[in-house]
Amino acid sequence: MAVYKRRYAPYTGSLTPERSRFLVLTRFAFADLFKSRFFVLLLILSLVPSLFFAGYIFIANNKAVQLLLPTGPADMFSVEARFFTLIMIVQTQAAFLLNCWVGPILIAGDLTNGALPLFLSRPFSRADYVLGKLAVMGLLLSSVTWVPSLLLFTLQAGLAKSDWIWSHMWMVVPIVLCSAIWILMLSLISLAVSAWVKLRIVATGVIFILFFIPAGLGEMFNAIIGTIWGRLLNFSYLFQIILARGFREPSRLGTMGWNEIPVPAAWGVLIFVCLLSLVILNARLRARDTVRG
Amino acid sequence: MNPTIELNGLEVQLGGRTILHGLTGILKSRAIGLLGPNGAGKSTLINTILGFHSPSKGSARVLGLDSHTNGKALRSLVGYMPENDAFISKMSGVRFVRYMAEVSGLPSAQAMERAHEAFVYVGLGEARYRPVGTYSLGMKQLVKLAQAIVHGPKVLILDEPTNGMDPPARKRLIELIREIREGSDICLLLSSHLLRDVEETCDEVLILRNGQIASISNLVEERRANRNFLELETMGAEATFTSTLEGLGCECAVFTNGRIKIVMPDGVEIREVFKVAADKGVQIRRMNHRRDSLEDIFLNAMEQTGAADGRI
Repeated sequence: MAVYKRRYAPYTGSLTPERSRFLVLTRFAFADLFKSRFFVLLLILSLVPSLFFAGYIFIANNKAVQLLLPTGPADMFSVEARFFTLIMIVQTQAAFLLNCWVGPILIAGDLTNGALPLFLSRPFSRADYVLGKLAVMGLLLSSVTWVPSLLLFTLQAGLAKSDWIWSHMWMVVPIVLCSAIWILMLSLISLAVSAWVKLRIVATGVIFILFFIPAGLGEMFNAIIGTIWGRLLNFSYLFQIILARGFREPSRLGTMGWNEIPVPAAWGVLIFVCLLSLVILNARLRARDTVRG
Repeated sequence: MNPTIELNGLEVQLGGRTILHGLTGILKSRAIGLLGPNGAGKSTLINTILGFHSPSKGSARVLGLDSHTNGKALRSLVGYMPENDAFISKMSGVRFVRYMAEVSGLPSAQAMERAHEAFVYVGLGEARYRPVGTYSLGMKQLVKLAQAIVHGPKVLILDEPTNGMDPPARKRLIELIREIREGSDICLLLSSHLLRDVEETCDEVLILRNGQIASISNLVEERRANRNFLELETMGAEATFTSTLEGLGCECAVFTNGRIKIVMPDGVEIREVFKVAADKGVQIRRMNHRRDSLEDIFLNAMEQTGAADGRI
């Protein structure tokens, strides 16, 4: 089918492996994302806190710099589990903002003009499609959550005494695991919303509503009934509970730790939200809609 | 050699309703037309072949591959041009087609090369860098064709390809489809409610009505038989008129309002029909002398299955 010949010819060349073909969607999505200046700005801003944390670690491990400070050398610079919990909270909130901007357009763009049948009429399953879109969110949110956190961990390990890394190696697990559940939940929620709501601005609004309105309603429920279980609707709170336990902290950052939701319940709700999002995606991502009746 | 399409008691239920009722048939030609009134089940059959719907009973095979159990292998052979809008509006045309090629498994460089080739081939070379959303309806149809052929499929499924196109654009698209068919060993399944589209591009036709097969007809053989038809509108004693004509070797089909179709055997002239009509006192109000066409096959199939007016 060479241009100059202007006639149809079948393709006889090699094909890419089927298992990695979902990454085509990821690659094209990233290419589109990086065309947006606002996205690039948002991504850079999401990484700015990590620079401050890096500066903190540098100061915490450098007595000479501490001497230059007006307060002089002090024990206030502590890089322990609580510090990494704080890093994770800040970075996961940055991930939430990125997710609100990127998530809504990932599937809606394909659904708006009926492109889904074109994907699914090829040797490409719905699972491949979701995996390709999830990989976008996974890679993007990883770049602002566990990747900078592990880099900061490595920086601290390099600057601190040699035994620090061995005594704190366990922190790698909560950094990665807690980031993973947060990324998975955010990604699935935003993809499910993207599959339902085609307008970006509305979809972004829906994601915000899903995180803040149920949390507010839960607090109202708590106040009226006199219970704590309304907090099961506050996903950020549940994540912080899991995070605190992961980092062996007695309580959520900034609280006394009493009267909190049990960790298994927090895990249960987050997993339930993930499953519910998958059910919604399964219902919406069809090549052809079936009208019942 | 495997037949192009093989249907074995294919039944499809959607939303609690049976849409396709046990379709059974074998289609062996390389270019198959799918005809039928709206709601006959054409698109459902295509969607089932593509694996979008699962059969509740029976099976559909394309080139020997079962649409349900070998769905992925089958789809790797298929290029599909859907009836409705199907594109990503903000992407440039060539990038969109390249994207589809890569999803089909072409490496990036080859996908880009073939996307350009496909664009030039369908005649949209000048517009390839414009966003697809800005294309006219006819151009969007051509983009859909480009994405369907970019990966060099063995089976090309076209669902109402000329929908919404003006006559020159339609003619060009039909020529393209014929060129694709004749220039390669690609198999074609074309669904349309425009008989002319099917007649100009296909060798065999599957006519559906109410989810059932109304007729499977080999157009090549029909054309070869080249039978003469007479369409009459008459008034008077139809029964004796037709029985006398049948005595001369004609095949007669009587419809409502005195309409009669006569297949003329070799050696029988039209003047003999007039003579019989005069003898039997039958008035011939209108006469249309024509060769057998797809329209006849279609109307016949519709009327045999109960649609007296043959309405599409």
